[in-house]
Amino acid sequence: MTIEFSKLLLNYPYFVAVVIFCLGCLCFLTQPNLLKKLIGVNIMQSGIFLFYIAIGNIYGGIAPIFDPSLPKETLYINPLTSTLILTGIVVGFSVTAFALALIIKLYHYYGTIHAPEIIKMR
Amino acid sequence: MYLWENMPFVLIIVSLAGAFIMAMFARWKKDWCPYLTIISVGFSFVLSCILAYRVAGGEIIHYYASGWRPPWGIEMMIDELGAMMLLLLTGGFLLIAIYSIKSIPKEVPPSVTGWYYTCYLLTLSAMMGMVATNDFFNLFVMVEVTGIGACALVAAKGEKLSTEAALRYLLLSSTGAAFLLFAIGFVYQITGNLNMSYVAAELLRVREQYPVIIWVAISFFTIGLGVKAAIFPLHIWLPDAHSSAPSPSSAILSGLVVKVYAVSIMRIYFLVFGFDLFTGSFMRTLILVMAALAILFGSFFAFAQVNLKRRLAYSTVAQIGYIFLGFGLGTVWGITAAMLHIVIHAFMKVCLFLSAGAIYYQTGKKKVTQFTGMGYQMPVTMAAFTIASFSMIGIPLFGGFISKYGLALGSLEANNPYFIALIVLSGLLNAAYYLPILWQAYFVDAPKAKAKLKMDAIPISMLLPIVITALGIIYMGIFPNGTLVFLSKVVTKFLL
Repeated sequence: MTIEFSKLLLNYPYFVAVVIFCLGCLCFLTQPNLLKKLIGVNIMQSGIFLFYIAIGNIYGGIAPIFDPSLPKETLYINPLTSTLILTGIVVGFSVTAFALALIIKLYHYYGTIHAPEIIKMR
Repeated sequence: MYLWENMPFVLIIVSLAGAFIMAMFARWKKDWCPYLTIISVGFSFVLSCILAYRVAGGEIIHYYASGWRPPWGIEMMIDELGAMMLLLLTGGFLLIAIYSIKSIPKEVPPSVTGWYYTCYLLTLSAMMGMVATNDFFNLFVMVEVTGIGACALVAAKGEKLSTEAALRYLLLSSTGAAFLLFAIGFVYQITGNLNMSYVAAELLRVREQYPVIIWVAISFFTIGLGVKAAIFPLHIWLPDAHSSAPSPSSAILSGLVVKVYAVSIMRIYFLVFGFDLFTGSFMRTLILVMAALAILFGSFFAFAQVNLKRRLAYSTVAQIGYIFLGFGLGTVWGITAAMLHIVIHAFMKVCLFLSAGAIYYQTGKKKVTQFTGMGYQMPVTMAAFTIASFSMIGIPLFGGFISKYGLALGSLEANNPYFIALIVLSGLLNAAYYLPILWQAYFVDAPKAKAKLKMDAIPISMLLPIVITALGIIYMGIFPNGTLVFLSKVVTKFLL
């Protein structure tokens, strides 16, 4: 299978989204600091959000607000994925809030948020 | 009439509303929370009994949220598997809620006893939503809510270990959910639908066109839901989270929560992607390998644990392996046995964890080496524990035997007789880590302990769920036919 670079250039938003997702995954897996791990999860989610927005986009489309004065063949972008991502953002926000609360509690118990030190201490 | 038509929706919304009401009561009337929870879950249980009755009559229940038909609206569909899971979930939560009345104040700091029930009902409602939904994005939202609720159930204990385990569980499960969301994005991109039935129909048309994207999507589904279902290499969060949680939470997490993800992944493989893609994308081989490793290593790790709850938690890793093995085999008997094992393992693990909690409640003992004479201090609890252990090992007349027998038949059907050796070996390993506990409890220092024979000193509300689950195991072992017939219809639909 050959990768056609012209196609990759045309669809660069997907490529960027995947790169951001992988960076977040790397950050989550390799950082010892719990806060940075959480930030990694957030970066992963941002990559996915970007991916969804890119799915909904249509080149030359306008915001999906119906306007009878525009000509009939006007292109609107797909609003569904953007609405889905609103839900996704809310879910990501609540996970982040909960994880931060747990990290604060862990800091009270152990006096550090460095994962290897916590494992050593227990 | 309104209730009859909107039953799936009412089922989920009652628990969700109950969660918010419980948050209100947590502030002023903390003592009412357990009883209100029991009323709410009991209502859900009655509704799911009616739903199961309707489904058993041959009706597949479709519900369209606010009347929008698919592909536009959100569809909820309850088939035989869904009805069985709803019955199992509400029944299990009802029993554990009864157990929690006396157990929770002892295991959880007094400031959070009310909030515990908020998370309890939230988890129940999201899990029921996951089972009943037929829409991918709705599935994702329910998965996330279940994840948060389950983490809160672990963190409720407020100790060092449980907080750490809850954080690890939360981070890993939100990573899993991120993979799930990405996979849903791929599926939406190639099919343009989010409704599972429509996606399945569309995938049949476009599968030749996008082999790579389908392969990526199916592997992301495996990782995303596999992290949450704790299939072997992705299980690392499970032992800590399940063993450090309060006992009722451990019973919920081990007996019910991980199963719901297994059901979702089963639906996605068989109903959305179909058997051909499941086999063709090498995912079936991968699932079989992971399941075999889970069965072996879960049992080995369990063998090495001294803390009873940790031993039970590792045993869950092995039992999840059985479920994945069953549907990885992909034959009629294999899938039936996997579904049956979901039910029977729920009974067994709930019984075992509740017994462990009861032992801790009465004697404060956590380690299996301290159980000398336990069989005469707590005869009823230990009898239930014995029944569940025998079922885990797979002794005939107990539930576990039926599902293992089904798995063995399934591996013969799949022309893969090596798995029978694996099942037998795993049964021996189970015996190696459950029987010493029983030996310690009944036969070490027996004459001295027999002299002090007395009844269990735990409240009746804690004893009742233990006894009911133990009776359930025996019932499933002697009369499995009803459940098997109920499940056979959905299995044929899976293998179309």
